[in-house]
Amino acid sequence: MFKIFIIEDDRGLVMLLQDYLHKFGYETQAVHDFEAVRMEFEQFAPHLVLLDVNLPKFDGYYWCRQIRGLSTCPILFISAREGKMDQVMALENGADDYITKPFDYEIALAKIKSHLRRAYGSYAGGGTERSLTVAGLMLDVERLVLSRGSAKIDLSHTEAKILDELMQKAGTVVTRDRLLEKIWDDQAFVDDNTLNVYVTRVRKKLSALDIADGLQTVRGQGYRLCENWGEA
Amino acid sequence: MKLFLREQSPLIVIYLAQLLMITLVYRLDGSSGVNVSLYAGLLSTCLLLAYLAYRYFSNRSFYERLLNLPASLDDSGGPAQSSPLAESLRRLLAHQFRLYQNDLHSYRHKLEEHIHFINQWVHGMKTPLSVIHLIIQGKDGPPFTAIGDELDRLKKGLDTVLYTARLDTFEHDFYVERLELAAVVRGVTSEQKRLFIRKRVFPAITVENGLLITSDEKWLSFVLTQLITNALRYTVEEGRFVHFYGYTGEQGRPVLEVRDEGVGIPPGDLPRVFDAYFTGVNGRSFQESTGMGLYLVKQICGKLGHEVGISSEVEKGTTVRIMF
Repeated sequence: MFKIFIIEDDRGLVMLLQDYLHKFGYETQAVHDFEAVRMEFEQFAPHLVLLDVNLPKFDGYYWCRQIRGLSTCPILFISAREGKMDQVMALENGADDYITKPFDYEIALAKIKSHLRRAYGSYAGGGTERSLTVAGLMLDVERLVLSRGSAKIDLSHTEAKILDELMQKAGTVVTRDRLLEKIWDDQAFVDDNTLNVYVTRVRKKLSALDIADGLQTVRGQGYRLCENWGEA
Repeated sequence: MKLFLREQSPLIVIYLAQLLMITLVYRLDGSSGVNVSLYAGLLSTCLLLAYLAYRYFSNRSFYERLLNLPASLDDSGGPAQSSPLAESLRRLLAHQFRLYQNDLHSYRHKLEEHIHFINQWVHGMKTPLSVIHLIIQGKDGPPFTAIGDELDRLKKGLDTVLYTARLDTFEHDFYVERLELAAVVRGVTSEQKRLFIRKRVFPAITVENGLLITSDEKWLSFVLTQLITNALRYTVEEGRFVHFYGYTGEQGRPVLEVRDEGVGIPPGDLPRVFDAYFTGVNGRSFQESTGMGLYLVKQICGKLGHEVGISSEVEKGTTVRIMF
């Protein structure tokens, strides 16, 4: 299990990050004493460090140099400063990457994953893979496979994203805006018509797994995944 | 010379009157002839001219100094000559200059402190913003959408404050590199996806393959964000597009056109849209116009060496053109 050390003085942010990272099977610890960061780092011996720039006593750059003297583990800065020079400063002080506030969980997680992968080999250890199961229907987000019992069906990226969102909130309504936001891609953005097309495709894939009416349209609101199918 | 003559003219007039009066007194007394008075007049006039010449030459640079106004603060200072008048004027100016400089310095210091404070404060505000952002992430439904929208507005407001404060120290804070225009545009549009989706207005990007520009990514992204915010704010109908055209213009200069299908800007307002705090007709009928967006766009593009142009047709839309 990978251990992540969080050096950040905002309690709220630390709590949220810890909760989120625990869900993906990471062990986390936050700094208690901002004068003894070095000592706490040595005791915890983390695989990766999340580091804020503005800290009490010394700034993040200082602690980054201190940690570099002890370890070569990935260090990711989390800072409100988004200037190029700030990022250059961070990298020159030994950081590996830079995340600007406010940030998305997904971006933080993606960066953490990729640095762990690079530093400790591909997908070694740690429960970092994500799969969702709703009443026997299983979605493998990494491999783009939807399965139910022994039946399996391949998904496109966009279909997987839609199902991911619907299954996470199974039983409740997911708005169209939310889905549009989720599947918005840098390369091709999606308007309402395209979303309709994708939803139809998702329905087809579901029916290929013998799930009819699983994905319901809620007029004027959005879509809802109803677990009205039995265990296969 | 002119100033000197004007300055000395009362003396000359008095002198001539005096000459006339004395000549007259002697004539009425009947003691002397015309020739003697003329001779005396000539002698004393020569004396006067000699005095004037001496005065003029000893104070020449002083008079020149009075006539030529300094172009900048560095040019100020007194006359170089050492006549008593020049000397005391120099002392006076030097003293005034010092007082003025002290004052200016203290204001500059206060301003710098203020900018520093604003910077710190904005960055400080970003942590609570991230916390709220994380809390509502993964949550759906009207209240969370509303909070998300307000959060976006706060973020945008803070960015505007930050970039306005930074404009003065631009020289320390930019990094020019070769960028792929399409990638920059896509990055910004996808960052603003919430706004696009909420308004049901979508971007249409047509950029020449591999079109490269030389710019600072952060500042340019801020400029594009401002343009997108404007385009979306003034597009009232759903299902419209904001077009991004990237092409090679005259003399091989890359050009980016951002065209919306919104309400347009009345011709009377068009020449002033780049002025600070100018909101115009649209600003009064739409919320949240600060009149700073396009002003900042113009200023930043100016500093980056890009040219900005705008054209608009009421009810048809507005096009902003950036020439790199």
